[in-house]
Amino acid sequence: MTQSPMVRARGLRLDYGAGASLVRAVDEVDLEVAAGETVAVVGPSGCGKSSLLHLLGGLERPSAGEVWLAGQRIDRLRETAMARLRNHAIGFVFQAFELIDELTAVENVELPALLGGVASRTARRRAVELLERLGLAQRAGHLSAQLSGGQRQRVAIARALIGDPQVLLADEPTGNLDSTATVEVLRVFDELRAAGQTVIVVSHDSRITATADRLVCMRDGAFVDETRLTGGGHRPNLGAMAGWEA
Amino acid sequence: MGRIRLLIRLVIRDLRRRPGQSAMLFLVIAATTTTLTVGLALGGVTASPWDHTRAVTAGPDVTVTTNGGYPAAFLAGLPNAPGVRAAAGPYLLVTTSLRARGQRVDVDTEARDVRPAAIDQPAVTAGSWIRPGGVVIERGLADALGVTPGDRITLKGRPFQVAGIAVTAARATYPNNAPGLVWITTADSLQLLDADTTVAYVLNLRLASPDAAPAFAAAHTTDTFFATPWQDIRDEDAVLVLAERVVLVVGSWLLGLLALASLAVLVGARLADQARRIGLLKAVGATSRFIAVLLLAEYLIVALAAAVVGLVAGRLAAPLLTNPGAGLVGAPDAPLITASTVAIVIGVAVAITCGATLVPALRGARTSTLRALAHAATPPRRHPRVNALSAKLPASLLLGMRLAARRPRRAVLSVASLLITVAMIVVALTIQHTLSTANPQLGNSAYLAHNAFADKINQVATVLTVGLVLLAAANALFVTWATIVDSRRPAALARAFGATPRQVSAGLSAAQLIPALPAALLGIPAGLGLFNVVITIAGGSGTSVVTPPTWSLASVLVGTLVAVMALTLLPARIGANRPVAEVLRTE
Amino acid sequence: MQDVLLALLAKEPSHGYELRARLQAALGPLGEPMNGGQVYVTLGRLERAGLITVEQATGQADRSDRKVYLLTPAGQQRVAAWLAETEWPRPAPVEFHLKLVAAAWAGLADPVGLIAVQRRELLRLVGDAQRAAMAEPAGSVAGLLLEGAVLRLQADLNWLDQCERHWSTRRGQGS
Repeated sequence: MTQSPMVRARGLRLDYGAGASLVRAVDEVDLEVAAGETVAVVGPSGCGKSSLLHLLGGLERPSAGEVWLAGQRIDRLRETAMARLRNHAIGFVFQAFELIDELTAVENVELPALLGGVASRTARRRAVELLERLGLAQRAGHLSAQLSGGQRQRVAIARALIGDPQVLLADEPTGNLDSTATVEVLRVFDELRAAGQTVIVVSHDSRITATADRLVCMRDGAFVDETRLTGGGHRPNLGAMAGWEA
Repeated sequence: MGRIRLLIRLVIRDLRRRPGQSAMLFLVIAATTTTLTVGLALGGVTASPWDHTRAVTAGPDVTVTTNGGYPAAFLAGLPNAPGVRAAAGPYLLVTTSLRARGQRVDVDTEARDVRPAAIDQPAVTAGSWIRPGGVVIERGLADALGVTPGDRITLKGRPFQVAGIAVTAARATYPNNAPGLVWITTADSLQLLDADTTVAYVLNLRLASPDAAPAFAAAHTTDTFFATPWQDIRDEDAVLVLAERVVLVVGSWLLGLLALASLAVLVGARLADQARRIGLLKAVGATSRFIAVLLLAEYLIVALAAAVVGLVAGRLAAPLLTNPGAGLVGAPDAPLITASTVAIVIGVAVAITCGATLVPALRGARTSTLRALAHAATPPRRHPRVNALSAKLPASLLLGMRLAARRPRRAVLSVASLLITVAMIVVALTIQHTLSTANPQLGNSAYLAHNAFADKINQVATVLTVGLVLLAAANALFVTWATIVDSRRPAALARAFGATPRQVSAGLSAAQLIPALPAALLGIPAGLGLFNVVITIAGGSGTSVVTPPTWSLASVLVGTLVAVMALTLLPARIGANRPVAEVLRTE
Repeated sequence: MQDVLLALLAKEPSHGYELRARLQAALGPLGEPMNGGQVYVTLGRLERAGLITVEQATGQADRSDRKVYLLTPAGQQRVAAWLAETEWPRPAPVEFHLKLVAAAWAGLADPVGLIAVQRRELLRLVGDAQRAAMAEPAGSVAGLLLEGAVLRLQADLNWLDQCERHWSTRRGQGS
């Protein structure tokens, strides 16, 4: 039984400028992401992977092509409907965290819920639950300036999850983090995968991309390579790393 | 609802995040509203007291005054003339000289009964009605003399006491109508008579139809006496209010414009700051409408708070400038602030704020999410021609020109601020000169040496000018500070390449002075032109405008430049002397 | 493995199985494929080289796993020298580099293709190592080793990106 994909893109194109200065950021991209799948998009800088993510997340309108989310076409929606979509169905995680400095962690997390009209008590409860799930219960009342990079990004992920989104989009989530913080975020993504969350992540960091189900390489706006990293009966061969003969 | 709580939370936190900017916003509006409140209270634009006076004093429909002598038959016949319902008087009118507080002026004394009259019983606003030895002075005259109940005065050399102050609708207030009016007992007035005293009589009439008063008055005026309908008296009094009102309105418009310009720059800077936040909110699903409301709410909350503070401050400050007891007729202790003042002040604050924030807020709400997220602060403008031109100038002016050109909106604010302020100063000066030198009444003993009317207008003009100057000073400081912060890096770089701190601080000052000079120069003719407009609106186009002497205009110009320099030099000095490495390191 | 075993004996004499257990603890998942017998083979070699001797345990004699080993003075010297050594396993990925050069020169295969294949494999390794690292408890010594594996693989992946850039332009120039 083939389940219909959670995210589907067909013939996506994104152009900037016109005439001689036309830049094609995304060039005829087709993509299907099944529910619960984690897909990583990699490529050199300027290859268009962030633009692709913006298109999938409704932050940008494509010059051509279609984007479908859970069976609903989203590339032609009006601004208000798009906002509602971003509130309920899509969770975005940015490289620079993008938390509001003057709100505490729990206030940041409940922000999308309040925007979406959820009652403040419910929103607060859900936010606290999420922070607990991500190991940040002690930091709920702290301002973002008082949190470490890893903690901030985890707050940002909690914020992205509060609407129970159908897909989580992450743009270089570990780009601003050091090694320890990266591992913190990695654990979160691992747990999300186990919980069946659909994730599309763009990253330079092979640590994140290596834990995905599928890896897609982009260059000059187009897909050039695809690798399936899980499934297919792959057995970890750790001993090879240590140099022991099995 | 959760969304509203979120909105309030975001607004309050954002205001707290940048306390300096929020304070500046607040101060601009508060200064404007305070000045406006004081001006309105002074100008007495609160309500038209005249109709109230007429009602309270049972004002006459027609006042008939004789020209000396007592044509008994005619005056006797008037109360029975067709259209006349009632009459009161005739009252003896003796013109004599009054001395009070070292001043001397001619007055008309009207002999009255202690018992109240049916028509035109003056309403006492302070003290009590006439008694033997005690006179009541008309309020306009009392204000001009500065007398209060209990003061001792002399009439024709004889000592009297001021029993009270009253208003009437039977006669225009002093100095619109001169000589001023004093009510006195009949017995006392007889003391003032002698062989060469000028006497007249005044008769008050109530008509069956008050609207018919002008016709009646026209029909019954002869060369021995004239009849004045109540409409004429009202209009005469209105002139005074009108003149004040015009000055107030013009000054307020200038104030409002300046406040608008200041706010626009402040709002622009603040919105640029908030772009990232807007992008983030949109990315998590805020609608454009929510963003627009959020932005507007922030500024409107500040505006309303500042308006309230301005009203309170104005309420506290106004009595210092107005005479005590100068409240509305019939209610001496009535507050200076009425519902209409509150409405006007709040309305102005909201209007200015909306004017400054509506368009940028809507534009900000509509920005694409990505562009807002990726938003860097607006980079300074590049002007190749300015760069080429300034290359030929000495170092300080070079720096100054380029610094000013980096932020054109700020430069425009500086120019506008100075131009408006200088214009207002010139208007105030011109008013002063015109009223004092072109005063046709000088030499007429019915008028005091100083003109209460002129005083009032000057007061209003001065208050507005002071408000404008303070606002302009605040603007100058803000622009200076913002320029210094903005130019720290290029200035440090300039110093790293050999500019001395003195050159840099001179450059920072020059950045302010370069727009200041043309602004001040333009402000002078602008002010003169504006004054002509004021005069025309006030209906006094016949009045010859007396331009202030050249030396006073020149001193305004020089004073402005000196003030700008003083406001910018010290901060510029401080800013220019920070160690270069420190500046370059922290950026 | 020889030097490690000598060093582990420097504190006190130990049984063979104790040494094996310590090694496994330090290596964690990376030590699982290790053949247990290898330890005993190496211990035998060390004994023959005179770096360790066997302390006779009371009772059962001559059973390898019951022997207690201890360090000789020569062995101690060797340990000291090993600790002071700063040699690092060869940082240069010589073999793969030569593979690409040879393939290109001899026209055997497209270097870019080889790189892609290798990258896939390295990514799989990164994934495996990262998952194993996350499964370890915090502060575990074995986890530290796995982190080391991940970081080195990342460095290798970065180098592969550079290789790819180089060899694709080389190909474009038709040399």
